[in-house]
Amino acid sequence: MIDVLVAFSENRYSRLVLIALLFLALQTTVFSEMRPFGVSLQVMVLLAVSSGLARGSHTGAIAGFIVGLMYDMVLTTPLGLSAAVFAIIGYLSGFVHSFVHESTWWSRVLLGSIASAVGMFLLPIAFTVTGATGVLTTNVFKIAIVVAVFNAMFSVPAELLCRWALREPTVVR
Amino acid sequence: MAGNSFTRRRAVLLLGLTSVLLITLDLRGSAIVDASRSAFGVLFRPIESATKVVTKPLQTAWSAITHYDSVVNENRRLKDLVAFNQGSMIAAIASVREAQELLALNGLPTLAGIPSCTAQVVGQSPSNYAQTVEINQGTECGIKAGMPVLNAAGLVGKVTHAYNKRAVVMLLTDPGYSLAVKVVNAPPPTTTTVTSPGSNPSGVETTTTTTTPTTTTVPRTTTTLGISGFTPGATTPTTPTTAPTAGAVTTPTGTAGVNQPGQVTRSPITVPAGIDLPLRETGVLEGRGLSKLPIVRFVENQPRFGAVNIGSPVISAGGAISLAPPDIVVGTVSKVVNRTGTLGPILEVKLLADLNNLNFVRILLYQPLTERPR
Repeated sequence: MIDVLVAFSENRYSRLVLIALLFLALQTTVFSEMRPFGVSLQVMVLLAVSSGLARGSHTGAIAGFIVGLMYDMVLTTPLGLSAAVFAIIGYLSGFVHSFVHESTWWSRVLLGSIASAVGMFLLPIAFTVTGATGVLTTNVFKIAIVVAVFNAMFSVPAELLCRWALREPTVVR
Repeated sequence: MAGNSFTRRRAVLLLGLTSVLLITLDLRGSAIVDASRSAFGVLFRPIESATKVVTKPLQTAWSAITHYDSVVNENRRLKDLVAFNQGSMIAAIASVREAQELLALNGLPTLAGIPSCTAQVVGQSPSNYAQTVEINQGTECGIKAGMPVLNAAGLVGKVTHAYNKRAVVMLLTDPGYSLAVKVVNAPPPTTTTVTSPGSNPSGVETTTTTTTPTTTTVPRTTTTLGISGFTPGATTPTTPTTAPTAGAVTTPTGTAGVNQPGQVTRSPITVPAGIDLPLRETGVLEGRGLSKLPIVRFVENQPRFGAVNIGSPVISAGGAISLAPPDIVVGTVSKVVNRTGTLGPILEVKLLADLNNLNFVRILLYQPLTERPR
């Protein structure tokens, strides 16, 4: 039993799930009430983007998928839609970051901000593709800007958190 | 290295395919998806509740900073409104009871005959693209998908997902919401005063005709104005007994003749409305997102209906396949956009229910035919 628990805690994606649960709880409580400029801030997007920035495109895509799937569980939108979009932005952030030579904190902040904004454009497009109407409006620009600014402010601590959660298992000698 | 890249590409492809599979399953209404959402809810709710308690001070501080002025103004306005409503409430209760008795006598369905469940709104949608709220009652209270949700002001939306102890309500403003409604075109009240030589000291007898949307006040002496043989607001064809005299004055002041004791000639007679009943037109109410008012598109444009007045009430139409029973108040017409040709006008509807400040809501345990599982 203890071995199972140790194996669970050593798995990086199980640590990510626990962190994502905490972020999801914040998303559905405090961030659904606090709406600067009428926009709900998206910490789940921040988590997906930060995963990509912290551990690269491949890990970012898988982490984004997990985070998005958990977000889908509490939304009424089709299951798998946010998962697909978050996987894309997790992958993109890691992929673009791999081209940055000697990345600095501000380059990661900038990338996190841009990837969040891209995610805010991709989400309504995906909703429209699955048959939703009236979501692809000019309001998307406002949402993208507000979410991008917020996620830029918190991308450094979020990336550190993701770097810790998604670290490779250490070999104990 | 090439093998590693191939594995990565395969993993990303697998994620994409999984997403498509999940979306397809959910859109086809798979029970597995609902069950997994429900199970996740059971696990997640305790964490969410704990977080809500912990972050409550933060939320309160945010509300205090951002909404202080509006809350103070709103409080002042509501105090005035309460004072005003207390007076009119008693009269309204009597009218509603009378209407329900009449409907019951005629064997017509009423809202009073539909059981309901009261719930409290416990959360908003965390998404920017869906107008939904979560309530703290679910299937244990008899709530099912499709049931209409009301608050004290009027219709709020419909239940889209129901779980054991919670349910998700799609608001009227959601672009996915559509409801059959009827618009009651209430003509504005007009008052005409006709003066003619008479018995009063000035030698001119004043006759007042008042037309309101529901009742018609006709003086003892009926007059004709404009079209000969036609009395505006009269419920039965009448023969004019006094023709308008030259020099008749029409004043749209809205003041009726003063009733004075012993002066029968000035006492108005209230005639029950007949042909002058407010006309109704059926249309479809569609949500357009939280930032825009919902609109009503007419199913057919009847010329008899005439021009729609701003402020005309919009109520649910009911019917076998409607999402809500008839006569639930939705809102009032706030703007009329006329279109050319045979297309009817598009009406913008100002909702009576304040969807930004929902607290207690009532769920009518009425499941429309279209929402029942087959």
